Amino acid sequence: MHIPDGYLSPSTCAVLYGIAIPFWYGAFARVKRLLNTRLVPLLAVASAFCFVIMMFNVPLPGGTTGHAVGVGAAAVVLGPWASMLSVSIALLIQAIFFGDGGITTFGANCFNMAIAGSLVAHFVYRATAGRSAIPSSRRVAAAALAGYAAINVSALLTACELGIQPLFFKDASGTPLYAPYAPHIAIPAMMLGHLTFAGMAELFVSGGVVAYLQKTNPALLGQKPSASKAQAYFPTGGGWKATRPLWIRVALLMLLTPIGILAAGTAWGEWGARDFSDPQMRQQIAAASGNVAPPSTQPVGLARLSSLWAAPFPQYAPPFVRHPAFGYVMSAMFGTGLILGAFLLLAWITAGGRPSDASQASP
Amino acid sequence: MIRAGRKSRGAVERTLESFVDAMEHAFYSEQIAKEKGLLQKFDPRLKILAILPLIVIAALARRLSVIAALFVFALVVAMLSKVPLSTLAKRVWLGVLAFTGIISFPALFLTPGRVVFSLPLVGWIVTEQGLRAAAYLILRAETAATFSVLFVLCTPWNKVLKALRVLRVPLVLVVILGMTYRYIFLLLRNAHDMFTSRRSRMVGRLDGRQQRRAATASAGVLMSKTMQLSADVYMAMRSRGFQGEVYALDDFRTAWFDWAILGLFIMVAAAALWWGR
Amino acid sequence: MTVPVYEVRDVTYRYHEVTALNGLNLTIMQGQRIALLGANGSGKSTLLSMLDGLCFPEKGSIAFQGEPLTESRLNGEVEYAFRRRVALVFQNPDVQLFNPTVFDEIAFGPLQLQWPGEEIRSRVNEMLEQMEIVHLKERSPHQLSTGEKKRVALASVLILDPEVLLLDEPTAALDPKSESQMIDFLVGCSGGRKTVVTATHDLDLIEDIADHCHVFQRGQVVASGTPSEILNDQQLLLSTNLIHAHRHAHGSGEMHSHPHRHGHGH
Repeated sequence: MHIPDGYLSPSTCAVLYGIAIPFWYGAFARVKRLLNTRLVPLLAVASAFCFVIMMFNVPLPGGTTGHAVGVGAAAVVLGPWASMLSVSIALLIQAIFFGDGGITTFGANCFNMAIAGSLVAHFVYRATAGRSAIPSSRRVAAAALAGYAAINVSALLTACELGIQPLFFKDASGTPLYAPYAPHIAIPAMMLGHLTFAGMAELFVSGGVVAYLQKTNPALLGQKPSASKAQAYFPTGGGWKATRPLWIRVALLMLLTPIGILAAGTAWGEWGARDFSDPQMRQQIAAASGNVAPPSTQPVGLARLSSLWAAPFPQYAPPFVRHPAFGYVMSAMFGTGLILGAFLLLAWITAGGRPSDASQASP
Repeated sequence: MIRAGRKSRGAVERTLESFVDAMEHAFYSEQIAKEKGLLQKFDPRLKILAILPLIVIAALARRLSVIAALFVFALVVAMLSKVPLSTLAKRVWLGVLAFTGIISFPALFLTPGRVVFSLPLVGWIVTEQGLRAAAYLILRAETAATFSVLFVLCTPWNKVLKALRVLRVPLVLVVILGMTYRYIFLLLRNAHDMFTSRRSRMVGRLDGRQQRRAATASAGVLMSKTMQLSADVYMAMRSRGFQGEVYALDDFRTAWFDWAILGLFIMVAAAALWWGR
Repeated sequence: MTVPVYEVRDVTYRYHEVTALNGLNLTIMQGQRIALLGANGSGKSTLLSMLDGLCFPEKGSIAFQGEPLTESRLNGEVEYAFRRRVALVFQNPDVQLFNPTVFDEIAFGPLQLQWPGEEIRSRVNEMLEQMEIVHLKERSPHQLSTGEKKRVALASVLILDPEVLLLDEPTAALDPKSESQMIDFLVGCSGGRKTVVTATHDLDLIEDIADHCHVFQRGQVVASGTPSEILNDQQLLLSTNLIHAHRHAHGSGEMHSHPHRHGHGH
C-alpha cells in the first residue's frame, strides 16, 4: 500500500502533506507532554519495532502470506498519537533507505497508514473492547478487528487518492499523467486485496500481539497511566461505549438507504428547474400535487438560483458509480462521515485541543 | 515490494530472508558511500537541496521527454559517482519495472482514447493514451527512485539523517530517526535469532496455523523486548546526563566545489521545470 | 574522618513483586575498588542503578558524599554535576550505544553537559586514541564486536573523567583478548582517586580488580571481606551460588565432584 513517486500529482501530494503535517505536530506535542524525557527512546524503539513488523510474512489461511503494517498493535499499546508518529517514522526509514514508498508521496502514505490507520484502530478498539477485563478474549477480538478496520480504511483512502488522479490530471490528449485508473477500477482492485490478504495479516498480528501481552505483560494493555506507553488523548468512559448502540443503528440505516429507490413517484417539492420543461416530470408533479398542473415555465427564482450550486453527487450517484443502490450507500457513508468529522472537529476545537485524561508519568 | 525469483519454503523462511536481505542491503550501501565519486564528495545538506527538486520534478513534469532526460542525467551522475549501473539495475530498475510495470499494464487496455492496435486472439484494444499513461508512470517511478537511491547509496546513513535538518526537520526528530535506524538492526538481529531457533526446532513444515502462531508469538516477544529496550535505553541516556534536550555537533563544512555542483543541479532542475510544465 | 562516597542505609526496593534489595547496608570510601559478588538476580545490578541515581529506594536512604541521593533533589544543575562525577557502564552494551556512530556516542556525554564544540571534538579524538579505537570512529554500533562495544561504552563514560566508576559485569561475554584488556584497565585504576565498584559473578577477576568484596544474596549483603578471605570460604561461595560442584575428572582419574571453579590456576 506504499504509494511510490509518480503515482500522485504534485497538488495531491501537497494537499496530503498539508493534512499530515498538523497531525504530526499535534501528535508530537501530545506525546511530549506525557512522555517528556522518555519520548526519544520510546519513539525510536517503537518505530524500529514497527519497521521490523512490516517485514514479517504472516502466513494466512489458504497457503498465502501477507504483510501487516502493525498499526493495529501500535495503536492499542501506544495509543493513537505515539502510534501515528512511530508508524510515520518507520515509513520514513522505509522510504528513504529501502525505497518502499516515494518521497513526494510520503505525506500521503503517512496520512493513509499512520494517521488514519492509528485513529481508526484506536476508535474501533475502544468501541469494541469497551470496559472488558484486560485478560478477556474480547480484547483480542477487539484488537484484531481494529487492525482489520484500520488497514482497510487505509486501503480505501489510498484507492481514492489514486482513483481521482485520472479524473483531474490529464494532458492535452487525454492521457492520464499519474495513476491511470479511475475510481471504479482502483477502489475494487485495492479493496479486494486488503479485505482479504492484507486485512487478515493485520488482524492476526494485532490480535496475536494483544493475546501475547495478555499473558506476559498485561500492564502494557492497562488503562492505568504508565510512563512506558503514551496514553490516549480522547475522552474515555462515557463517550463511545454509551453511544455504541446508536452507531449500530446508524450503520443499519445506512445499509437500508437504497430502499428509497423502490418508492414510486417523486418527492414533493424536490424538483429541479429543468423538470418543469420535461413532460414526464410534469405529469408526476401534477400527480403529487393533487392534480394541479404546474406552471408552464420555470419559476424565475428557481431558474436563477438552480445554477448556483452543482452537487458533487447529483441524484446520490457519484458519476463513476454504475449501480444506483451502491450509489445510495456510498452517499450515505460519505454524508455520515462528513457529519461525524465535523462534530469531531468541533469537539476537538472546543476542548481547546487539551487532553481530558491527563496523566502524570510515573517513574 | 516484489522480489524476483525467490524460492522459499514457508513464511518463516521468507521472513528470515527478508531480514537478512535488509541487513545486507544496508551493509552494501555503506560500501558505496566510501568510494571517491562525485556525489560522495558533495556536502550532504547541499546534496539534499540538489536532488530533492529533481525527484519532485520527475514526479511532476508533464512531458515524457523531460522525464527521460532527467533519467539520463541520473545515469551520468551515477557513473561519475562510481555507482555500478548493475547495482542500480538490481536495486531499483528491475524492482520498479516489475511493480509499476505490472500495475500499469492494464492501463494499456483500459484507458480510453485513440486505438493503436488490438491484440489478435482476445481482441483487447491498446490505445495511444494507454501506452503513454503507462510510459509516464514507469518513467516517473524509475527516475525518482534512481535519484533517491543514488542519494542514499552515496551518503553514510547518519549523514543522510543529519542533513535532513536543512529541510527544517526538527533536531529531535533527526535524533529519533538515528536511534530508530540503529535499533532496527538490533531488533532485526533479535527477530532473526528467534526465527532461526524456531526453524531449528521445526521438523518438516508447520501447517498454516502453527506458522501463524509462530509469527504472532514472535511479534509479541519482539514487542516485549522493544518496551524493555526503550526503558533500558532511557536509563542509559539519563545516566549520561540526558534531561530531555537534544544537541548536535555541527559537522558539515562546505567548499566552493559543493556550491558549484549545487548550482549545476539547480540549473538542470530549472530547465526541466521549464520544459516540463 | 572523611565522608564516605556512598552510604547505603537499610535500602529496600521491590520491582514487579520481586524484592530486589532487602534492607541493604553498605559503605564505600573514596579510592576503594569494590567488587559486588553474587549470582544473577541477587540485587547487584539494582544497587548499581541506585548508586547512579537511576532508581531510588522505597525504604532506607542513600547518601552520596554526605548529600542524600533522592529523586526530588536530582534534577537541573544538581543532576548535571552528579552525572559528571558518577558513571555507569551497563551490562548490555547495546543499551548504552544508542548513537549512530562511535564518535557520536563518545561525544554524547559532553554534549549533554554543553561543553564547547571544539573542546568536544579534541577530547573525543584523545579518548579514541587512548582506548585504541580510532579505527572505529565512524562505525555504527551494530558493526562492532562485543569487545569493541564494551570499549566504546567505557570510552563514552571515561571522557567525562568521573570520580566514581560503576561497572556491571564488565567481562561478561568477552573474548579472552578483550577480557584481558578490560582487566588491565581495571587493575590500572588502583591507587588512584577513582572509586570503582564492579558487579560480577566471575570469581577469577576479583583478586586483580578489587581490594574489598561484598557478597550478595537475595538482596542483602551476606558477607564482606578481602578477595582472598572470600575466595577461601568455600561454604559461603557454594551457598551463594558462586561456585558449583558438578561431576568432573582430574586428568585420567575417576569421575567425582567437589566444589570448584573454572579458572586460571595460579
